[in-house]
Amino acid sequence: MTDYVFYLLLGSGAAAIIAALGLGLVITYQGSGIVNFAYGAMAMWTAFVYADLREGSYPFPIPGLPARYHFGSDVGSRWAFLLAMTTAAIVGLIVYLLVFRPLRKAPALARVVASVGLVIVFTSLVQARFGDTTVLRVPAILPREPVTIASNLTVPRDGLWLALIVVVITVALWAILRFTRIGMITRAASENEKGAVLLGFSPELLAGLSFVVAAILGGFVAILASPMIQLNTTVLTFGFLIPAVGAALIGEFKHPVPTVAVGMAIGMIQSVFTKLQVDLSWFPHYGAREGLPFLVIIVAMVALGERLPDRGAVDNWRLPAVPQAKMAPTTVLVPAALAIAGLVFLGPLWRGAIMTTAIGVVLALSLVILTGFGGQTSLAQMAFAGVAGFALSRLAMRWGIPFPIAPVLAALVATAFGLVVGLPALRVRGTNLAIITLAGGVAVAEFIFKNPGLTGNASSGGAKIPNPKLGSWDLGLVLGNKSSRPVFGIFLVLVALVLCLVVGNVRRSSTGRRMLAIRSNERAASAIGINVANGKMMVFAVSSFIAGIGGCLIAYRFGSVSDASFGTVASLAALAVAYLGGITSVSGAVASGIVASSGVAFYTMTRVVGSLGRWELFIGGVLLIFTAIQNPEGIAGAFRAQAAEKRVKKARRSSEVIAKSTGLSMDPQ
Amino acid sequence: MTEALLRTESMSVTFGGLRAVDNIDFAVREGSLVGLIGPNGAGKTTFIDGITGFVPTTGRIIFDGHDITRLPVHQRAALGLGRTWQSLELFDDLTVEENLQVAADKQTAKNFLLDIVAPSRRRDRQSVEMALDVLGIRDLAPRMPNEISQGQRKLVSAARALATRPKLLCMDEPAAGLDTQESVQLGRSLRDIVDSGTSVFLVDHDMGLVLNICDYIYVIEFGMKIAEGTPGEIKKDPRVIEAYLGQSARQGEGSGT
Repeated sequence: MTDYVFYLLLGSGAAAIIAALGLGLVITYQGSGIVNFAYGAMAMWTAFVYADLREGSYPFPIPGLPARYHFGSDVGSRWAFLLAMTTAAIVGLIVYLLVFRPLRKAPALARVVASVGLVIVFTSLVQARFGDTTVLRVPAILPREPVTIASNLTVPRDGLWLALIVVVITVALWAILRFTRIGMITRAASENEKGAVLLGFSPELLAGLSFVVAAILGGFVAILASPMIQLNTTVLTFGFLIPAVGAALIGEFKHPVPTVAVGMAIGMIQSVFTKLQVDLSWFPHYGAREGLPFLVIIVAMVALGERLPDRGAVDNWRLPAVPQAKMAPTTVLVPAALAIAGLVFLGPLWRGAIMTTAIGVVLALSLVILTGFGGQTSLAQMAFAGVAGFALSRLAMRWGIPFPIAPVLAALVATAFGLVVGLPALRVRGTNLAIITLAGGVAVAEFIFKNPGLTGNASSGGAKIPNPKLGSWDLGLVLGNKSSRPVFGIFLVLVALVLCLVVGNVRRSSTGRRMLAIRSNERAASAIGINVANGKMMVFAVSSFIAGIGGCLIAYRFGSVSDASFGTVASLAALAVAYLGGITSVSGAVASGIVASSGVAFYTMTRVVGSLGRWELFIGGVLLIFTAIQNPEGIAGAFRAQAAEKRVKKARRSSEVIAKSTGLSMDPQ
Repeated sequence: MTEALLRTESMSVTFGGLRAVDNIDFAVREGSLVGLIGPNGAGKTTFIDGITGFVPTTGRIIFDGHDITRLPVHQRAALGLGRTWQSLELFDDLTVEENLQVAADKQTAKNFLLDIVAPSRRRDRQSVEMALDVLGIRDLAPRMPNEISQGQRKLVSAARALATRPKLLCMDEPAAGLDTQESVQLGRSLRDIVDSGTSVFLVDHDMGLVLNICDYIYVIEFGMKIAEGTPGEIKKDPRVIEAYLGQSARQGEGSGT
């Protein structure tokens, strides 16, 4: 028994971080109506700034500027604290002003995408400025010497201190919300923004303030916690953020006290899992920690219904417009022909870029179906791909199932996962679905991909994949002493081409019309006899099947599968790139394959302007945010918009003529 | 008297403590045009929502010989119960023609594989053409809903419901916002629809329209049925005059319709 209490108390530090991040999410949501998925990443940057200051320098977050200002030596904890907290406040303000303020009236998907862009930006910033983070050691801030609570029960003191600090902050915040004027205004605005505007309060000021306060809180706790955790790009970004989202959901993104209580509970129970794994032979050794917040989120949403209340503001989950059904075959045939020509005539580096692009097109197509046609969100797309990759390895290596059958079966396994993850979509949509799939993807990644029992031994290079072979014809990338064989690239391009035609046909068929009808208006869809639940499951099935094919292609390319290709960041990047290209059309998927990281566009750019090295990801993130704000239909949409502008103007004019001639009024009211 | 196409037996809809629809017995005979009138907030839209399955009801609803009280919306629609909304609820991402086509498509998810290979096959063009013609909107077919006027959108909304080939079409305030001439035109279209074999259940404010074109009329107030009968009987009913006609006349003066 004492052992369990020990582990509970040992988890108090992590618990405090989760609780504090949950609190910050609540503050942000109350002030602005935004679920900021980049909140953990912002706190991470603050913690890194502090750590760097303790080593005598200040990191600049802008490419082109000198990497650091060097003070010469450790600036001391007080100055480091002051500078890092100032940084946090400025980051909060800038993120609000440059990213979320322009998106206040934008579709919720655009905001999810923008926060994904922010996560990418901050992650890549840390990678660019800090490189190998394993050497970073932050000197202790809170007192560490162990405290003996009872006989046999001695725990480090710092976690308990951190928990105490978070509790004090929570009580203070609760009191502010409850008893002060600013608290009352915040609550009023979160209930009804329009009402607050009518009373003369600026919702924008309030929103900006909430971002700054939340950023300061997150940074503060991240700094205090940094000596206790291994600072890296994922621990705060996802590891603590996802349980924090779960806690905030239980608190309805509204109530600080339940949020903090649940956050603390999750952190402490996760800590006890370490003990349970030793004591109970059946207790899962992989994914249990990540599974808990996923369960909390599922229960919160499915059992308790939609948890994010409407703010009475203009905020429905609008999606980028879908272009009309007619698809010029040239939009896919010409790029495919060019790609094949390139594979035959160009060098291995070009060939590699073309292969990346072909795979990128396939992954983007899976999101065109899911988000573009189906109106659903998934931040777990690469998890589906990974499931198929690992399934392929098992099917092909262990059971000797031959080429064309094994990848199809593997993709069907991904389909099964897609259906399971899609189930909550029957109850929740929009931002809430993004939260569920994010947590689900992380749980799958930890539970399956990192589990050697399921995926083979990672030290021997992960799970092996044999070359694809049609009869005796080997289509593999590497054969004997030949590497980067064009035939493999052609195989990839043809698969991408076929899937492009399939998705194009879906758009033009009754299936596609049904998907778009559901996306447009669920009520009206059911009123004309469409089974909305079936339609949504269909969308998830088709999408995860295509993602599964993409995962198999990745697996064939590398000859093995490892969790590195299919992590959460990869899922976010997949959504990001698909959105960037244009998530509502096949031509958008082609565009996103071209602009995908290490795809054709990036390779061309490195040939022209030289390698961007570590900034490639950063630029991708910034471009993504820019796309979310400026052009929700992506690159393909931008081209289309130019072409269609004149046509629409013309149509408007003639519609007025028709309206007059038929005697129907333009607007009744 | 033949068996009614749609029949409710003491149907009620309750929101918390409020009985929005209170114990209503109601019937639509096949081939007829039945109207429902009542003042603002009387429960007219809720009544349609209840029949078509958008709000849970108590009592019984029989449609075309099936007890549909517990059926989900899409199954009622598949049996031939169509509806429109006052707010129209068009599919903004689809062209007008596709709006109708998706309604005409038979719902067969298992044909997905065929759809991939031959997307344009086995389309029910007839229902689409018929709906375009009955409402006279053939020239709007290639347009997007946001490119056309509100009046035209109303016609599209009716055409979409018609393209499902319903046995009974429930229309929620189709005349709202139309001027007198337009609502006369609408009345003619509705008669055409009934003549083409679809029964119509019309819910509207426009007393003139309802009295002119309906075969049989129900009047509700505060969720309760206060009268039913032919237009002639309704015109003379003192309760109707008190509850609705006087108020409607005053409203009419105010809004200038």
